[in-house]
Amino acid sequence: MRGARALLLLTGLALAACDREAGPAAINAQSPDEAEGNQGGGKKGEPIRNPQLAIPARGIYTGAYVDWGDKEDAVTLEGIEGFEELVGKHQAIVASSSYWGEQTFPDDNVRLIWRHGSVPLIFWSPWDRPYQEGRGPDKYSLTSIIAGEHDAYLDMWADHAREFGQPLIVSFANEMNGAWFPWSGVLYGGDKPVPGSTPPRFQGPETFKSAYRHVVDRVRARGARNVQWVLHLMNYSMPQEGWNLAAQYYPGPAYCDWLGFSLYGSQFPSDGEWAPFTPLFDWPYTELALLDPQKPIMVCEWGAAELPHLGSKADWFREAFRVMKDPKYPRLKACVVWHERWQNSEGDDAGKYSNLRVNSTPESLEAYRQGVADPFYLGKPVIEPMADGK
Amino acid sequence: MPEPTSTLPSGSFVFQDPQGKRWPRLRRVLLGWGVLVALSVVWFFQTLLVRPELKLPASIRTLKGQLTAATQRSALPTSDPNEMNWTKFYEQSPRSQERLARVRAQLRKAGKPKGEIRLGLYVDWDPNSFASLEEHAGSLTHLAPEWFTLLDTDSKLQIETDRRLATFAAARGLTMMPILRNLAENEWQPEAVENLARGPADKRARFINELLGALQRAHAGGLIIDWQQLDPSYRDDYTELVAQIAETLHAADLEVWFMASLGEDFQTFDLEAIGVVTDRFVAVLHDENSESDAPGPIASQSWLGGWLKVIAEKDRNGSWRYGDPAQWIGLLGAYAYDWNTTTKKTETISFKDAMSRASYAGVDRDGKVVKVEAPSYNGEYDYSEPGGGHTVSFLDAISFYNQALAVRIAGLGGLGVSRLGTEDPQIWDVLELRTTPGPVARKALGQLRASETITHVGRGEIVRVDVTRDDGARTVETDPDGLLRATYSDFPTYPILYHEGAGEPHQVAITFDDGPDPKWTPMVLAILRARGVKAAFFLVGRNCENNPGLVLQILREGHEIGNHTFSHGNLAAMSPEMMRLELNATQRLIESITGRSTTLFRPPYNADSNPTDIAELAPLKLAQEELGYTVVLEKVDPQDWARPGADVIVRRVKELRSEGNIVLLHDAGGNRAQTVEALPQIIDYLQIRGDRIVPLSELLQIPRDELMPPVTGSQPLERMVAGTGFRLWHATVEFFWAFMIFATGLVMLRTLLVAWLAQRHHGKTAAFAIRDAPVFAPPLTVIIAAYNEAKVIAKTLRSVLETDYVGEFEVLVVDDGSRDATAEEVAHAAAADGRLCLIRQPNAGKSAALARGLAQARHAMVVFLDADTLFERTTLGAIVQPLANPLVGAVSGNARVGNLRSFLARCQSLEYICGFNLDRRAYTEWNCITVVPGAVSALRKSAIEAAGGFSQETLAEDTDLTLILHRLGYHIAYAPEAIAWTEAPETFSTLARQRFRWAFGTMQCLWKHRDLVFNPRFGALGWFSLPGIWFFQILLVAITPLVDAVLIWSLLFGHAAAIWYYFAAFLVMDIFLALLACRIEGERAVRALIIVPMRFLYRPLLSWVIWKSIIHALKGALVGWGKLERTGAVPSRA
Repeated sequence: MRGARALLLLTGLALAACDREAGPAAINAQSPDEAEGNQGGGKKGEPIRNPQLAIPARGIYTGAYVDWGDKEDAVTLEGIEGFEELVGKHQAIVASSSYWGEQTFPDDNVRLIWRHGSVPLIFWSPWDRPYQEGRGPDKYSLTSIIAGEHDAYLDMWADHAREFGQPLIVSFANEMNGAWFPWSGVLYGGDKPVPGSTPPRFQGPETFKSAYRHVVDRVRARGARNVQWVLHLMNYSMPQEGWNLAAQYYPGPAYCDWLGFSLYGSQFPSDGEWAPFTPLFDWPYTELALLDPQKPIMVCEWGAAELPHLGSKADWFREAFRVMKDPKYPRLKACVVWHERWQNSEGDDAGKYSNLRVNSTPESLEAYRQGVADPFYLGKPVIEPMADGK
Repeated sequence: MPEPTSTLPSGSFVFQDPQGKRWPRLRRVLLGWGVLVALSVVWFFQTLLVRPELKLPASIRTLKGQLTAATQRSALPTSDPNEMNWTKFYEQSPRSQERLARVRAQLRKAGKPKGEIRLGLYVDWDPNSFASLEEHAGSLTHLAPEWFTLLDTDSKLQIETDRRLATFAAARGLTMMPILRNLAENEWQPEAVENLARGPADKRARFINELLGALQRAHAGGLIIDWQQLDPSYRDDYTELVAQIAETLHAADLEVWFMASLGEDFQTFDLEAIGVVTDRFVAVLHDENSESDAPGPIASQSWLGGWLKVIAEKDRNGSWRYGDPAQWIGLLGAYAYDWNTTTKKTETISFKDAMSRASYAGVDRDGKVVKVEAPSYNGEYDYSEPGGGHTVSFLDAISFYNQALAVRIAGLGGLGVSRLGTEDPQIWDVLELRTTPGPVARKALGQLRASETITHVGRGEIVRVDVTRDDGARTVETDPDGLLRATYSDFPTYPILYHEGAGEPHQVAITFDDGPDPKWTPMVLAILRARGVKAAFFLVGRNCENNPGLVLQILREGHEIGNHTFSHGNLAAMSPEMMRLELNATQRLIESITGRSTTLFRPPYNADSNPTDIAELAPLKLAQEELGYTVVLEKVDPQDWARPGADVIVRRVKELRSEGNIVLLHDAGGNRAQTVEALPQIIDYLQIRGDRIVPLSELLQIPRDELMPPVTGSQPLERMVAGTGFRLWHATVEFFWAFMIFATGLVMLRTLLVAWLAQRHHGKTAAFAIRDAPVFAPPLTVIIAAYNEAKVIAKTLRSVLETDYVGEFEVLVVDDGSRDATAEEVAHAAAADGRLCLIRQPNAGKSAALARGLAQARHAMVVFLDADTLFERTTLGAIVQPLANPLVGAVSGNARVGNLRSFLARCQSLEYICGFNLDRRAYTEWNCITVVPGAVSALRKSAIEAAGGFSQETLAEDTDLTLILHRLGYHIAYAPEAIAWTEAPETFSTLARQRFRWAFGTMQCLWKHRDLVFNPRFGALGWFSLPGIWFFQILLVAITPLVDAVLIWSLLFGHAAAIWYYFAAFLVMDIFLALLACRIEGERAVRALIIVPMRFLYRPLLSWVIWKSIIHALKGALVGWGKLERTGAVPSRA
């Protein structure tokens, strides 16, 4: 069914994009794949209506979040190209954040990423400065969102997204099943049942879903049909209890195009033991796959620190690339690696670093390069018109 | 037939001006024109020197005024957040205060500690660093350049040693201690060290060996390790790595020093263990607040003192934690930070930059002062400019004194300066102070002398220069605890470069230098047009002059134009007058082409936007202040002119983009294919990156019409003169080249035609020569006119008389009043041979003599012969053959040069062979011979009589007669076998005289018979041979000096190289004809090659003769006429 549709490589599309851009972007004629991509159908230079990232019949898009600074939004071409040179592969998806405290839409970032030939993934996080985990809800609380206090911002954001006009994947309020972000379900009544609900529904997840639907509805109402929504959980809930599982946070098939999760191996020097990849991946995949029979699954963030005293990051990468393409997980369609090194400031780890960069050691880098070099991992995004009726 | 006469018929001489009015009149006219042209030229240059009235855009002009001191000090945090961070590493010892007091007392007694290490940090990218080193090497013991970089995941070692520096250091007795640092392109690369420390042992061994080799090759004394931002998790690995490095280096007698950053990083390393294996620690006693922090002191006295306590005091057990303090060196800051509190960007600047900025901002105005005093003892002030608010923190000689004091009191083994080139020059005096400075020393410290060091303000590559220098003053006093404090009441001013045009972070401009170029500029323009990108073109006047259309096109397509001088000369090597001329000429040219002026200027050969020498500022200052230009430099210079490859050009732009926002490319000056290939990729890259490519006007926020104001009513006359001058010059140059093309075409055409005709004639006569004997042998009269020919006449007569000619003939010698023994010689011969007859007459000229001879001739056929010309036995027979045809009125013989002794004669010989005789062969084919030479010719007496005898209207009576015969319808023939050997002049002066006579005579004839030219009645004569003489023998010869001048110009300056093609074409034609002629005449081919030197020696002579003739003709034949006429000894024309 999808094969019959006109598939266009993003690079071929870029020309069409240029017409709408303020300045002519020019990724034209630079991709060796372009001609091949055009054989799929559509004419070069002809704009696609409501473009979106196509779900590949076979293969997994590969993408990255590169260290974009404190606000995770200082995207630069140098950063993207540098990372691509490092890993030896073009990125189908480039991730960055848009924090509500900035009250802006990241116009420059999405355009830069698109002109570069990638699809932007935005972590749209409703919190205020200073952006520190564990501070609890602030003025952008889920309840204030539900109350419509930020509708003007949502509208503005949606308008800019619509004007951008190119495929855009948005992860709103990610890892809500964790306990560190101010939008976590556990901070909104957690497991308290909603009065009168049978079977019982829980206040935490229900509040989240209301806010999520409010945001999606609002953005769609402004006509930003180029936005694809990814419901983005933590691979394991915290606490890992029934009320806090993915199913509780699922806002319904109409509200998401992708189902996604974050996956981190060992991150801190003080971690007691090494966390192998497969269990970190298998459980959330299965959990999300059960939410919907069709929707593609994305690893929105993944990575592990270089902790030689605990285990081999290179082995971990090798295992990851092997497992993710396993036919057991046919609905995995994208994986976005988290490429950052930070210095810890708390507890036993104070002063020590967590190095999640893919190039933390030559061995890790080589493992990542070799893994991602597999053509099964797709470096170029494929763009198609949005399916009817959406 | 006119009677011979000895007086010239007055007024009938061609060109003669009996009234003598023509020359004075002409002279007046020429003089008038000459003065006019000279004045015009002077005026033209004058307009170039008159300063075009450029109105400097207002915003540029007032930049200086936009720098203002903050009216109020911004509220800085009263407590310095980093001040106490040393306390985490410090355990108070009960006796420390006591000890401190004791050491302090000792120090005052002891004076300068013995064997103090003096370390200077050096960078190669700032020339001030070397300047400082040169001046102060004597105050240093060790030098630390940044030579080694450890980078990337796989721990590559990048080595950038500098032999010149190593040699310099050795000569000054400095020990080189290069730094090994994990910093690349402003980014710390912790993995490079971590992975090396943790990775395979053999890799470490290789690395250490490589390092050792480089150190030894550079004759270094050791290594300073500076590693930052490492993960403390691996601290033992680092210790081990340092130990391994130290072991190897120590074995090679090299020291290892370890740089310890203060602050959180202090605990990254196990300094206690590292202290055991290394020779020294270098404590970085600055950057308490650095670029990434909020504004604050760079090294406050209390912060520094605290860290010194951490380092130097013994713990409770009575031992030093980090080794003997004498093992430590205190690296003191000597620089400043300028925090832009609006954009949050921080600039590391020099002390002098800080002074200039304060001075221009007026921080010291209205009695305001800046104090370096307790508690921080760092200098600090605020100012603002349109780009934002600024806080500057600076370290000076005062802070240096205080800090050095603390370091010495703490008992450290030495001091370092971070870094050379940014310091307050007086730190060098302070360094040598042995005691607390007294009033005299303090007064000296208070004098701030402005040097010639260039300081910088602002960001961007559009610069303004201010070379004003002004000394400043600070009051230096002593605090009770022995520290110095200073009050800056008057900041010194150094020469300053204001930088502007940094624009928004995503604004970038593309500029092209050296054009326009007819090939590459249109290609560049097409790319820019297709991409909708506007650029700026810095034009070279010379190229504008040649491509005015492109200048217009550049402007029409929305780009900007700037002045890049007229000839792309190096301004540094140019006088101010020359530079003014260069700029104004280009400006006038641009104005006359486009109707706009330009205020943009970029100096040629500009390496980057940071001139370092005050001498480099002078031309910029002239351009800006006197001529009103805005100087546009550049930072993104991929050196495309050197043709490194399109991919390299693109890569360099990518690498340099973060450095600046003006890209420099070239659209002329050589093959720019790589630039044209790279340009679309560069535009792509910049646009994908999110940059907006803007014109300079946008970068500067100045309207285009202000940067390039339309030409207004001012100076209309100057502009008109300049414009006309350029147009005239342009037209002249264009005409010259067009003429060269035209002339070359004609020469080739003529050459081919002559060659073809001559070859055809040769074919026929060769057939003729086979015949056994002449058939036609009429009775002949041979006439010889002689004047002072005693030496040769006998020989000449013998050659005539000893002939194979079968017919009857008589020889008449007309002695034209010779003053030597000519008559006697002839009479003597006549006595022996009855065929010979002597006629004597008073001197009356050659024409008269010939006329006299003709009158006496008994026969219908007459042969003329010069007195110095020898016949061969067959000559008489050959020359009369064509007369068998009754239509033929005259026959030319084949005159050849007999005296081949000199080079000059050989030249003439070749000229006779190919110039005269080959032509004659060709002309006879079409019956258009222009001259039957008096030296050897045969004529029908009746024809001469019909022509009216020998005219005396011209000096070339033979040419005149020939042309008259043509008019009468006679055929003129050529008998190549009728060879006569004539004697060529052997000196330049006689040759010149002969040729002048010929040239003048020929011109007279051409003028007299000018109605024949292009006259259809005369066929080839009118359309081929006569115009040929006009063009090839007069005009082309006349302009030879001009061509030669262009050739020499081209040789000297490399311009107008195209002239060589034409020159070569002419020469090839000459050689071709010479070869052909030699072949036909049976001469050796090598003789033809003499044509090449002839071109350089003979042609100028001919040219001179032609010009002399022209001038004489214009003058109207006044002086020296008769005298020339009567020097009949010169052989007549061939």
